[in-house]
Amino acid sequence: MRILAYLAKRLVFVIPQLLGIVLVSFLLVKSIPGDPAVLMLGPTATKEAIAALRQQLGLDQPLYIQFLIYVRNLMHGDLGTSWQTTRPVLDDLYQRFPATIELVTFSLLLAIIVGVTLGVLAARNPRGWIARVSDIYGLSAGALPDFWFALVLIFVFYTVLGWAPAPLGRLDVTIIPPSPMTGALTIDTLLAGDWQGFHSACAHLVLPVLTLGLVNAGPILKMTQSTMEKMLESDFSRYEVLCGVPQNLVVRHALRNALPSVVTIISVLYGFLIGGAVLVEIVFAWGGAGQYAVQGVLNADIYPVLGFVLFSAIFSLVVYIVVDLIYFLLDPRISN
Amino acid sequence: MNSKLGLLIRLALIRPRFTIGYLIVASVLLVAILAPIIAPYSPTEADSQNFLQPPSAAHLFGTDNVGMDIFSRAIYAPRIDLTIAILGTLLSSVIGSSIGAVVGFYGSGRGIRVWLSFAIMRAADVLQAFPIFVFAIALVASLGQSIQTVVLAIAFVNAPIYLRLMRSQVLSIRSMRYVEASQVNGLSDTRTIIRHVIPNAMAPVLAQLSINIGWGIVLTAALSFVGAGVRAPTPEWGSMIAMGFQNVVTGQWWPSMIPGAMLAITVFGFSLVGASIEFLVDPSKRRELLSQARERRGHAGVPMEDA
Repeated sequence: MRILAYLAKRLVFVIPQLLGIVLVSFLLVKSIPGDPAVLMLGPTATKEAIAALRQQLGLDQPLYIQFLIYVRNLMHGDLGTSWQTTRPVLDDLYQRFPATIELVTFSLLLAIIVGVTLGVLAARNPRGWIARVSDIYGLSAGALPDFWFALVLIFVFYTVLGWAPAPLGRLDVTIIPPSPMTGALTIDTLLAGDWQGFHSACAHLVLPVLTLGLVNAGPILKMTQSTMEKMLESDFSRYEVLCGVPQNLVVRHALRNALPSVVTIISVLYGFLIGGAVLVEIVFAWGGAGQYAVQGVLNADIYPVLGFVLFSAIFSLVVYIVVDLIYFLLDPRISN
Repeated sequence: MNSKLGLLIRLALIRPRFTIGYLIVASVLLVAILAPIIAPYSPTEADSQNFLQPPSAAHLFGTDNVGMDIFSRAIYAPRIDLTIAILGTLLSSVIGSSIGAVVGFYGSGRGIRVWLSFAIMRAADVLQAFPIFVFAIALVASLGQSIQTVVLAIAFVNAPIYLRLMRSQVLSIRSMRYVEASQVNGLSDTRTIIRHVIPNAMAPVLAQLSINIGWGIVLTAALSFVGAGVRAPTPEWGSMIAMGFQNVVTGQWWPSMIPGAMLAITVFGFSLVGASIEFLVDPSKRRELLSQARERRGHAGVPMEDA
């Protein structure tokens, strides 16, 4: 019951925030120079044709009317049309967003494995060599520009060693993509029973996931380490040690109590990565949603940008709400 | 004088990682300032006969795909990258922390000021909900592509961080006795904030500054990498990486790898400096470090364990 009341309260705040996001991004992309009508018709178009198209697109209306029209269309699930792909933005995003989510999710899993493991080991023995390695790693991982690290990995594992497939998308060109069910190729190929496709999809995921996972494990590592150190120094851990509880068990109990803050940083990172993966998507020609939005900005194609901002904001909000629900499970004190 | 120098050296040896950070930042600054003297070639002129030459004695880091000398370009680049990152970060900290101080100071109680503070915080929420990179490109695109707009984009994207940081600091400081004392003694709110609240809340802001300069460099390079930042012949690490992008796949690693490595080392240096400031602003840690350095007086010069 408490959870339901909480969710309702949360949603009341979400809607004005979403509206704010749509308004700010609308004003921002509308002020990008470049007339879509001119760009769509090309340099040979006549003045009349351009004027007619502007009228058809509603570009001759005042800005606030254009915004109201956009919001009204949003309510009907119409996110506008991209003039570059000439397809509805919603269809484009349905195709590309799963690609981004698949990439980001696997990367996040890698970051969690690396960050939590190193963080726990480092906190267990703060003067040991693992603590020193993870300290240096935490500082240097944040300093790596991901698009450059991706190139380093491509050079080593594709150009020199030849282990990785060419950084040109999500599947080998010779493989027919499975019919989209979830949009995540690893899942779709499995559902279709296409082992060769599954293998190719996984192989293409390795380098981008390594890039994003290793570069972004830093914050998880730092949070795990500092919270674990605090927990291991707290009274309940000391009491357990005094009672002769084996160290592994003490660490496990401390980790259980450190989880809420670790989960928080993971959720923030998840939301960040949806937009933060853009550069890695570009390097690997991933065809994801971030890449689609960047192309939109660079070509005065505004609806893909608005659609992407909206989708990723909603995604972040959903993640945060799920995380709040996880808190209820992790910390029984909250629900009382 | 001599003993102070000795103490400094012992401090440097106890925390080698901080020392490395300061050394990196100092040498990048030095290289950027001395670039016209060090650089053997012009950073923007191409020798079209000698394109994609591997590193050699004539071209220390090789040449890129139009024949420009990579060493010369890579040491000119921090002039652009550091200027943009430092200006952008300073601007964002000034804007963000002054708004944050006011919001923190007036954020509780009642009246119109509280509502205003609430509105500002929710606006910061909205800004932070944006995917940062797409937001930054859209800003640069709508303001017109130039160095100034990249600075503005960095300032705008980072301002909410300082706003929150300063606000939380001020919230805890405003209930201190000395703030009360200053108000009781008849200082106006503005003077109280400027003279007594902000100076006492600056420490974490300073640590954040150094870290953010590092991020600012990465963001500048990233914008140029997708073609939305600094344009091609201007020496800049991100656009150099982008120029060599296709060559990496065919095996010519130097046009991309070298500027990228310099970029990464520079950012690493700034985050080490940030970490050292974070450490040194904590009085108890500072005291511990100083006493450690004094203890080691007898055997200075021996590299110490990094605890």
